[in-house]
Amino acid sequence: MKIVGIAACTSGIAHTYIAKEKLMRAAEALGHDVHVETQGTIGTEDELTKEDIEQADVVIIAADIKVGGKERFAGKKVVEVPTHIVIKSPKALLTKIQKELGL
Amino acid sequence: MKVIDAIDERIIDLSMNTKNKKETIKALADKLHDAGYINDVGAFIKDIYEREAQGITGIGNYIAIPHGKSDSVTQVGIAIGKLNDEIEWETLDGKGVKLVFLFAVSNDHEYAKNHMKLLAEIATKLGNDEAVEKLNKMQEVSELREIFTAV
Repeated sequence: MKIVGIAACTSGIAHTYIAKEKLMRAAEALGHDVHVETQGTIGTEDELTKEDIEQADVVIIAADIKVGGKERFAGKKVVEVPTHIVIKSPKALLTKIQKELGL
Repeated sequence: MKVIDAIDERIIDLSMNTKNKKETIKALADKLHDAGYINDVGAFIKDIYEREAQGITGIGNYIAIPHGKSDSVTQVGIAIGKLNDEIEWETLDGKGVKLVFLFAVSNDHEYAKNHMKLLAEIATKLGNDEAVEKLNKMQEVSELREIFTAV
């Protein structure tokens, strides 16, 4: 499946980037297309493009705080989890989502 | 600036004998102080514990990433400690901790943006299970450098 995501954590220093990497690696290992934006202390990086979002089957928001720009995902299937879910068991999360979506 | 520049031997101890979280954070904070990264150990530790109170920093696989923004930080940096004996810590997988990455981040992060990017790069590495496995095996600072500079 095609996945877009956002990672963001309380202080925007560490968990954000660990969560992104975990999600990307798990998704790639499972053969999915994935693009993850980070919203951290240094600002937004790897911002999702309109195209990324349009083509996505699912939006995964791994965040411990309110993320910016959620209106971009209107009409999309959005899954919201705290960062620790993605850090601890990213593959299990992706498998569960895939099953739910029947993809 | 590159990640290798953020790996500062003065704030790395790969053979720590501290017995718990408190002692470990204190010992690493002292190193940050001695190397001129922070100007107030007590205030820094207080800010670290404020962040600890908000959520678990033991990310699993024996690694902890205590961090926090503090006015006591005069230079952004990351102290790294490897414990000779596993210590107790709140972790996502319920295991203890053998490797601590203590992030020193200032409240005024605009001036330190380049350094902050390096910290983000280091955090990214900690999301890589293969790198983590190597980190748990490394003994020398040179190995640490290799792991963090490998693409």
